[in-house]
Amino acid sequence: MSQPSDTPNLADRMPLWLMLLTGIGLALWVLAAAFPFFWMTLISFRLPVDAFSVPPKLIAPFTTEHYWQLWVGDRFWLKFLNSTIITVGVLVISLTIGCLAAYALARYGGALGFWLLLVALIFRALPHVTLLPSYKFAFFELGLWNRYETLIVILVAINQPFTIWMLRSFFMNIPKELDEAAQVDGCSRIQAFVKVILPVMWPGIITTGLFSFLLAYNDFLISSQMMNADKMTMTSALSAYMNADDDAFKLMQGVAGAVSITAPLVVLVLFFQKQLVSGLTQGAVKG
Amino acid sequence: MPFRTFLGFVLPSVVAMLMLIALPLAGVVYLSLWNSYTKTSFVETTVRTPVGTRVERRPVAELDAAGNPVIVREWYGSRNFETVLGASNLAEAWERDRSVSATGQPTSAWQRFTALFRDVTNVKFWGALEFTLLYTAVTTPIILALGFLIAMGVNSVVRELKGVLIFASLLPFIVTPVVGSLSIKWLFLDNAIITVWLEQLGFGKIYFMQNAFTTRLLIILVGIWKATPFVFIVLYAGLQTVPSETREAAIIDGANRWQTIRHVIIPHLMPLFVFVTLIHLMDAYRVFEPILVFSGGQGADSLQHLTYKILSDEQNFHKASAAALLMVLGIVVLLVPLIIKTYKDQRRAFA
Repeated sequence: MSQPSDTPNLADRMPLWLMLLTGIGLALWVLAAAFPFFWMTLISFRLPVDAFSVPPKLIAPFTTEHYWQLWVGDRFWLKFLNSTIITVGVLVISLTIGCLAAYALARYGGALGFWLLLVALIFRALPHVTLLPSYKFAFFELGLWNRYETLIVILVAINQPFTIWMLRSFFMNIPKELDEAAQVDGCSRIQAFVKVILPVMWPGIITTGLFSFLLAYNDFLISSQMMNADKMTMTSALSAYMNADDDAFKLMQGVAGAVSITAPLVVLVLFFQKQLVSGLTQGAVKG
Repeated sequence: MPFRTFLGFVLPSVVAMLMLIALPLAGVVYLSLWNSYTKTSFVETTVRTPVGTRVERRPVAELDAAGNPVIVREWYGSRNFETVLGASNLAEAWERDRSVSATGQPTSAWQRFTALFRDVTNVKFWGALEFTLLYTAVTTPIILALGFLIAMGVNSVVRELKGVLIFASLLPFIVTPVVGSLSIKWLFLDNAIITVWLEQLGFGKIYFMQNAFTTRLLIILVGIWKATPFVFIVLYAGLQTVPSETREAAIIDGANRWQTIRHVIIPHLMPLFVFVTLIHLMDAYRVFEPILVFSGGQGADSLQHLTYKILSDEQNFHKASAAALLMVLGIVVLLVPLIIKTYKDQRRAFA
């Protein structure tokens, strides 16, 4: 991936004006990318009158009232708990069955494997709302609506096409000889998979897991339709504060909620920046 | 790997996809062909008011023996699709006489065309399709250009800065889409920071949420803000693989900076440009959260949001299914090139 250090870098020969332009352009981009987060966090600790003041203030009295109102008054902690249950459930099941399938798809050469991958690709492109009428109708009729298990199973299934494609590309990089050596040493297929292949797959599993986590954690469309009141996830619970532009305090609780949802994601990027980047480029650079 | 082992390994995943993707898809087709409603009958009651009595007819749900409302299911054929597509409105719009304007002047062909276009896009489905396509057409070239410029820029800065730049860029990309849209909306509310700054800079007070044009502008802005990092990261990774020999050879042959970019770097990145374009086309086609946050469907709608609305507000599974299937038609068109490419790639891998 990285180029040898002795190659002439374009930066070495850049004229001054181009260097300046690059610097200004990149500074503007960083500002555009990060400013909404910075400002949202800043005003979440202010009273409405300071948060939306004319002219805007950089320094204003500090308050944690909105967080208190949201987490305790509106019981946002319950939504946090729901989000945790849903994302952990999705992550564990999705990766377990995804790893099994992806490993088989990476090692099996028959036509069925090929068609399975192709169908998974089509499923992956389906807009999620396409399946929603069926989910809502069927789970309502079955009396399984508004339950953790239901939402977890749905999100796992929707996530499978992506998961198996991505994990498979990681498994493809592990030489087949490794399985064969393990089997020669007396391992069964499943033993070889668990004892020999999985331990070297961790980077791939972490990367795929990050994206599975994001899908479950960020989902609004399905969660908001399949869960109700106290079972809502944090993301779908935001809808209650979304159109409260007339009620300043309600709006500010929404801001506090948005910051609360974002905080774990920022930590995630801090710790897993490398894996996220490698996941994004996985499908692209290798073809 | 023997076939039986293969089956054992893929079984859980395949069952999950069959039960919760394939079956629901068939279910949507089924639902779209039917209609259902709660059976009601009218009950007459006498209402006493200060000015006398009157008889009121109120609808009451009929109950079966168990006390549950009676649901009537009715074959609808293509009627749900016709409702979503606004078939009758379309026919009417097509036949409307537009040869004379409201003031009595004869109209030009262009005026007649725009009037027809307006009438058609007044039907919700076509309005949503129009904005979905507009959104896709505007965002795609901008994110490709911007992502490429940022990738080139980041590639040329010192290593210490690269980490910070990538970190900041990842934020809009991974943040919860609803939160991302809201964080930008909160900058553009009537008393919010950017609105106030623009006013102080002399642009006048702009009520961003009050008119269709600025709402559309903001939705497109959010789309660019969110999708550019993906293009940047992929192209940046691609830039690391440009063979240095080719680049040096170009420089030795006397190519200037622009020529190197034009004839060495861009051709090398071409497959990646195609890849990110395909992914973005699919993402743009199903744009949802910015619409939900900024317009709620007023002035700017998307196909996915329209279907969601039919489901959440009208609670009409059947009409929503029809809208969802019409949306799938578009995905099929988008997918054809991707499927052909994958078919070729994987055929090679499996052969």
